Amino acid sequence: MPECDNPLWPCAMTGAAACLAGFDGINVVIHGSSGCYFYPATLLHAPLHGTFIIENDVIFGSEQRLLEVLDGLADNGKKTAVIMTCVPAILGEDIRSILNDYSVILVDAPGFSGDVENGYKKALSVLAPSVDPEKEGVNIDGVCIFDPFSGGNVLEVVRLLGSASVSVSTVFCFDRLEKVKRSAAYTVGTNRDFSSGIGTNLGGMLGFEEIRTTFRRVASVCPDADPTPVEREIEREDERIVRACDKFLRRFDPPYAVIFSNFSYATFAARTLKHYLDADILFVGSRNKPGNSPFPVEHVQDFSHMKTLIRHHNPDLVIGSSFERSVDTNRAFVGLTPPLRGMVMLAPHAIAGITGTLSFVEEVLNACIDRKK
Amino acid sequence: MTSNPLPLNLSRFGGCTLTGALSVTTQVRNSVTVVHGPKGCTHHNFSLLHATGLDNDHVIIPDLISTGLSESDIIYGGEEALERTLDSVATRHFSTIFVLSTCIVDTIGDDVVAVCRRNRDVPVLPIPTAGFLGGTFQNGMNNALSAIAETVEPCRKDWSVNIIGEKNLENEVEENYAEVTRLLSALGISVNLRFLRDCSVEDITRLGAARLNILRDNALYTVGERLLKRFNTPYISSYPIGLEGTIGFLESVAGCFGVPCLRVVREEKNLQDDILTEFKDIFGTSVTFDPIAKSSDSFRIASEIAGRIGISVDRDGCRVPVQDASPVGSTGVRRMLHQWRRAIHA
Repeated sequence: MPECDNPLWPCAMTGAAACLAGFDGINVVIHGSSGCYFYPATLLHAPLHGTFIIENDVIFGSEQRLLEVLDGLADNGKKTAVIMTCVPAILGEDIRSILNDYSVILVDAPGFSGDVENGYKKALSVLAPSVDPEKEGVNIDGVCIFDPFSGGNVLEVVRLLGSASVSVSTVFCFDRLEKVKRSAAYTVGTNRDFSSGIGTNLGGMLGFEEIRTTFRRVASVCPDADPTPVEREIEREDERIVRACDKFLRRFDPPYAVIFSNFSYATFAARTLKHYLDADILFVGSRNKPGNSPFPVEHVQDFSHMKTLIRHHNPDLVIGSSFERSVDTNRAFVGLTPPLRGMVMLAPHAIAGITGTLSFVEEVLNACIDRKK
Repeated sequence: MTSNPLPLNLSRFGGCTLTGALSVTTQVRNSVTVVHGPKGCTHHNFSLLHATGLDNDHVIIPDLISTGLSESDIIYGGEEALERTLDSVATRHFSTIFVLSTCIVDTIGDDVVAVCRRNRDVPVLPIPTAGFLGGTFQNGMNNALSAIAETVEPCRKDWSVNIIGEKNLENEVEENYAEVTRLLSALGISVNLRFLRDCSVEDITRLGAARLNILRDNALYTVGERLLKRFNTPYISSYPIGLEGTIGFLESVAGCFGVPCLRVVREEKNLQDDILTEFKDIFGTSVTFDPIAKSSDSFRIASEIAGRIGISVDRDGCRVPVQDASPVGSTGVRRMLHQWRRAIHA
């Protein structure tokens, strides 16, 4: 792994914490120092526990400290998951045998083992989700509490499935722990970069075209499903978006946009801007390894690289995180990517579902219009 | 958060040395800080510093470079990665390169100091951090201040003070500084250097010129001692805290400079009386401090202020906020009383 200027994306440990802390019924213990604990604690806004190891624990072994923390959690009726951070992961202690007498999930996700997606997937695999063929409904996946839109995405997709008379089975990863072992045979996604791999994937929920296709597939496997209300809603809201965007285009040129996000969200944003606003997508910087794309895309992991690209392309619309917003404050900006610091987000906002597309286009239009005033 | 408040365990919650050191090194303009470790550690701190800057309306993008250690570097050693990174960074026209290590690097035994010692065209200054293995946030901050101070030569004294170890991640850092400069200017004394907040390398060469160092708080005691030894500069161990503390601060500074302060002290006491009078509507009320388990200093100061305006402190009283960092100077007390009044009238 080469050197990296101001890395833009968190480590595997944070991803593992985000996965596990999304489940109700788990005590998440970060086995590491206070430094490792405080970052996910401030980013995820979820109850986390820590062993807060110090030098003595490294010299004499961290067993006693870990057991002290686990004993403190023993009476709250929840399962406990221990996430190994960098130093405990290489200490050579046989943590698994230390924990033999405890019913504990052990997740080896040191920061050096990869990025947030790796840790998320590793933690989910340790939970060993399984499909119950008798279970009705569909699962929702791609939900990671690291993503500030995850809560809004869940609400929106639950709403849409309800509107199509489809029940929701397990939400990965924002649900009760016991539901992990009894998920349905089919899954719809909100963010492909955090997909669960559980059940047959029926498609995603990013953008109207994808939603429409996914609901047709849902209807083909769920006999009671009726996608008509969702299709009607898409038709109606699509017209509203077209009207709003045409009104914008009568006055202004299409935006010249650069987008920095995880690949799945970035692709959604690029397609949406192209479709409704004939935007010129100058560049897509993917936080994670990108797949095939009709847009110019590159894996961008550090701040200097991102700043150079923004200055080089000179867009009038920047979509990304608060890091991208900091580069130049005179460009229209829409927040899509964590972290979104320096702004208040209290109500749930979605990117997935019909509301997600509406919100995204609304944000883009308002940002572009404000900048042109 | 699992916490065990035994004294033995207190150091567990003291934060990361890396973050403490970065809160200092990122304040040196045109410098770069190389963080030797996995890139997650650098991201965590970059994100934290950025968020704090946004909260404080002082957005800076610190130059942090991670050596990006991977699993194989951890197995075979990371010195090559550090060497490669330093060689690359040395060509990028920074005035100074600070090098901070992380806990994993200390655990695998990389010799960071030896790698930094190799000749390059730009000064490379390793600062002992090593994540939690180096101690706490405060240790990281103290180590960074001390290491940077060691690079400065003594110089002739002038009629000024240095401010040492401002809490750069503190929300009200500028307001606190403004209060201290208000008090100093009443005594006719100026600030030579904020060591370290938004300084150039050239600014730092003036470190030895001050006649007195004012520490942000007494946790910086080791830094104060080191500066005393290196530059023969005495120090006051804390910002002015609370009402009596503010008067004491004026008297101490005046004593160090050998200037009279009776008039300034009288004017400050008048100001304090005026401030307390502003809050006469909450005189005679009853409060309890929220949260209860705060540092003894903040509890003591809050009790002093409550006593001065006839507020009784008892368990059933209205909960009023008490911050970990006590109010600085008389205007800090005023801001705290505004919060109390809001809580009492809520």
